[in-house]
Amino acid sequence: MTAAALLEHYSKLKEEALKKKEQEQKQPLIMVGTASCGIAAGALEVKEAFLKEIKKHKLQASVQEVGCMGYCYAEPIAIISKPGFPPLCYGNVDEGLVKLLVQSFLIEDDPCYEYALVALEPNDIFPTFSDFPRGVYEHKIIMEHCGFIDPEEIDHYLVHDGYAALAKVLSQKPEEIIEIIKSAKLRGRGGAGFPAGIKWEACRKAAGEEKYVICNADEGDPGAFMDRSILESNPHQVIEGLAICAYAVGASQGYFYIRAEYPLAVKRVQKALQQAREKGFLGKNIMGSGFNLEIEIFQGSGAFVCGESSALVSSMEGKMGLPRHRPPRLTSSGYRGKPTVINNVKTFSYVPAIIRKGADWFKSIGTEDSPGTAVFTLVGKVKNKGLVEVPMGTTLRQLIFDVGEGPPDDKQFKAVQIGGPSGGCLPESALDIPIDFDSLKEAGAIMGSGGLVVLDEDDCMVAIARYFLEFTQQESCGKCTFCRLGTKHILDILTDITRGEGTMESLQILQELAEDVKDGSLCNLGKTAPNPVLTTLKYFKDEYLAHIMEKRCPALMCKEITLYYILPEKCTKLCNVCVGSCPTEAIFTREDGIKVIDQGKCVKCDNCRKTCPPEHDAVVKLSPAILPEEGGEKK
Amino acid sequence: MSREITITIDDKKIRTVEGKILLWVALANDIYIPHLCAIEGKDLPEASCRLCFVEIEGKNKPVTSCTQPVYDGMVVRTRTAKVDRLVKTAFELLLSDHRLGCASCPKNRNCELQRIAKERKLKLRHTRFKYLGRETAVDDSPDSFSFDPSRCVLCGQCIWADHEKAKVGAIGFARRGLGRTVATFNYESLKDSPCTECGLCVEACPVGALSFKKNT
Amino acid sequence: MELLKGEKEAILKHTKEIFQEFEAKRENLIPILQEVQKRLGYLPRLAMQKIAEFLGIPPVDVFALATFYNQFRLNPPGKNEIKVCMGTACYMVGGKIALESFERRLNIKEGQTTPDREYSLERVACVGCCTLAPVVVVNEQIEGKVSPTRVDGIILSLQGEKSKEGEEANEDTKEKLKGEKQ
Ligand SMILES: Cc1cc2nc3c(=O)[nH]c(=O)nc-3n(C[C@H](O)[C@H](O)[C@H](O)COP(=O)(O)O)c2cc1C
Ligand code: SF4
Ligand code: SF4
Ligand code: FES
Ligand code: FES
Repeated sequence: MTAAALLEHYSKLKEEALKKKEQEQKQPLIMVGTASCGIAAGALEVKEAFLKEIKKHKLQASVQEVGCMGYCYAEPIAIISKPGFPPLCYGNVDEGLVKLLVQSFLIEDDPCYEYALVALEPNDIFPTFSDFPRGVYEHKIIMEHCGFIDPEEIDHYLVHDGYAALAKVLSQKPEEIIEIIKSAKLRGRGGAGFPAGIKWEACRKAAGEEKYVICNADEGDPGAFMDRSILESNPHQVIEGLAICAYAVGASQGYFYIRAEYPLAVKRVQKALQQAREKGFLGKNIMGSGFNLEIEIFQGSGAFVCGESSALVSSMEGKMGLPRHRPPRLTSSGYRGKPTVINNVKTFSYVPAIIRKGADWFKSIGTEDSPGTAVFTLVGKVKNKGLVEVPMGTTLRQLIFDVGEGPPDDKQFKAVQIGGPSGGCLPESALDIPIDFDSLKEAGAIMGSGGLVVLDEDDCMVAIARYFLEFTQQESCGKCTFCRLGTKHILDILTDITRGEGTMESLQILQELAEDVKDGSLCNLGKTAPNPVLTTLKYFKDEYLAHIMEKRCPALMCKEITLYYILPEKCTKLCNVCVGSCPTEAIFTREDGIKVIDQGKCVKCDNCRKTCPPEHDAVVKLSPAILPEEGGEKK
Repeated sequence: MSREITITIDDKKIRTVEGKILLWVALANDIYIPHLCAIEGKDLPEASCRLCFVEIEGKNKPVTSCTQPVYDGMVVRTRTAKVDRLVKTAFELLLSDHRLGCASCPKNRNCELQRIAKERKLKLRHTRFKYLGRETAVDDSPDSFSFDPSRCVLCGQCIWADHEKAKVGAIGFARRGLGRTVATFNYESLKDSPCTECGLCVEACPVGALSFKKNT
Repeated sequence: MELLKGEKEAILKHTKEIFQEFEAKRENLIPILQEVQKRLGYLPRLAMQKIAEFLGIPPVDVFALATFYNQFRLNPPGKNEIKVCMGTACYMVGGKIALESFERRLNIKEGQTTPDREYSLERVACVGCCTLAPVVVVNEQIEGKVSPTRVDGIILSLQGEKSKEGEEANEDTKEKLKGEKQ
């Protein structure tokens, strides 16, 4: 089919979508962010409240559900788009604010600036994203429409040139498309950064007619959720990328492998697939081009290791999710033994934009060897938590201190953990390295799936390493010796250290074993599992030594070597809050009225320290766990 | 694919056929490489015991010989510092989850672990890593043999024999991670499973986990 | 585990229905297990046997998957499912404290169900609401910023619901008794 005919077909569909949008824009439109994060914060109640108020006042306005724009710290979020005003975004919306906004803004034309976060279009009455430090660094490609379009409405995607890239490629040769992706140097965003174009080419060239493409949405990193957010906020973008890949490699069957713990993502992708079929973007003879493609969803069953591509395929075949030795690569022997391309949600998401705007445009963003943007889940001890998309090459410092605005409560930054269980902890001194696949790897961390957790002075680095090892140890498939038993012994040694039972000898064994597990394991789960240990040993050895030599946890986090103590000189004697707050009744009142903790009963739940009124601030943690002598002086 | 080639293992020149698996070529030529999980005839190797490491000239890291096809001019070393370090750690890790006690073990003197220890001069005792000593129960319900999971090294030989040779399907791997184990359906006793007591799995077991009872 | 009266029939009925929706291919094993668990709450031994028969594979192969994947359970869950998030963000700000509080209050360990089958306690990895950390999912409902005090509150409110139900059940039996008398 000719390019012109395809374009015509596509233009008609887009035309319809635009008309519909115009119609919508004639009246006020309220968009409520209802990705999982929003729903958890109460977005559905907010939506109901808007509907109720609008009905009560008999207004002409519509309410829509949109995805997540990444400002999770301000959820629930609502965007109000009223003719005559720029679309305005409001955070921390509750029922009261809904009432106010409907009354003042919708009825009386007062946009309540005092509650607005930001305006979404350039205007002369209210600041937009680019007026904030965060907006200066952010560069949105794959999150551009997340949070601004209704993920369950394909026309919203069409309005923003959705499926235009698919229409474009269907008149081109598959090899040309692979060339574009190769020349754009698009690297896989699922962890390892393998060039997508080269993978596609290998699959295209592999022998056989039957081929498969799979979108890896297993996202098992315990601190990351951007893939979920993208699927919940703009599923069509991923579908389009996957369809283009299928066409390029010559596959007529595609799959989404989605974690079963992501029910909303499953539902939205399902709906999106349905709509794409109805519009003729999927199915037989797509847009009259003769290209056929079906896409189905496979729900993962909760095993982190199934994110590893050979384990993923094995689980789709109805077996245990065990990784296997490679070669053979999946591009020659994958699902059902056929050539298969597996890419991450984000990798596919970049594809439509690259096709529409060209490889050179993509390469103009980011760095030479890692073009494009990086998407992170920015959590932990930062003020602005949420999803961020910044160009590759942005430094960690910019990301944490400018975009995230650093740790709250004037706490001291200590480290940043990147890449989840396969990644590492980097200290302050490494903050000026640019974010890209190679620089992070060099520093001992990895880009990984994009989880980025900021740690401050209250976080113990040994405990953090232990946390990740506990995770990988539980998630190891158990197939190979190093990972099954090696991670267990690493974990045991770390546990001993956090309890003050470590020795210098065990520290030596820890180092050796971590290196061997890295070199000896079968798959990347085992090969990367020691990274949290190796990086903390490299950058924070003093904390390990404090635990071992002094039985002291510098961050006062390790319970076994920390105790809770009420400072007699600070306790007012008059209030009783701590006594009531203790779940084990460990706090009693001494004859002189001062509260004392019975160390035998204390479970170190932190309740008393939290409840002690700030003006007294009498409860403290002490490490090593030695009680000060009577009279307030230390032993 | 049946091109004759020459490879070198530990300075010994060996004529063989391109594409064969290095481990089998070495063993056939009396060069010992420790191995537990490799099964001849299995098309995708398990590569799970991680004992069969060797170094190949031109590669910067040791590779598992059970997954490595041979090619012309390949130069292999079975003993290098890197190889020895990995094999030692893998071996010690396996022992840390293995109930030692050779004297009372039915496989004494006929055990792959003993062989590896002897060939590589490794200690047959718990060293750097403490013995995990997990609770397991012996299944001696079959008339002719018994299964002691505390001696199992999870090599998978028995399951292959059961599924592919005996074609019964009585046992398989179950659970994950440290919990990984050879099990019957619903952990029921072998007597209650489809097991026919053909004995093939017992013959396949390289260690003292599956063993025939004395009086039969 | 002994099946309760009527359970066997329910298992047979549901598996039969489910098998009609799927082709008898090994590839469908996980989707079938998911569907069985969705309907029955867990994977009873009998259901696993039926699935093996349906797919023509050894039952031990079905068992292998049922024990490999986190999602599947071999025992019925408690009426109230409490899942404590142990994702990185939650762990760092007291997820463990919340978990321990639940363990203390319910007198079970993570992964267990109370003997009266009222509560089961599990840990999950990031549920995607890190900004509300620490997070607990109670019967699919997300609770944010869970302190030990909030743990008590959650359990109290669940117990409250139970005693309400109990009253209703009492009403029911009263009704029935009345009916019988008449
Ligand atoms: C233990 C483990 C877990 C993984 N989990 C994921 C995951 O959740 N999502 C993902 O896209 N890739 C994951 N990967 C990486 C995949 O194996 C694979 O490299 C990736 O899906 C390829 O896509 P990409 O090239 O687009 O990154 C994981 C790898 C390992 C070893
Ligand atoms: S490294 Fe771990 S997850 Fe990977 S195959 Fe080995 S045991 Fe399994
Ligand atoms: S029982 Fe023997 S053959 Fe079977 S896995 Fe264990 S060690 Fe290998
Ligand atoms: S024989 Fe090669 S890994 Fe076991
Ligand atoms: S870590 Fe608990 S919700 Fe993300």
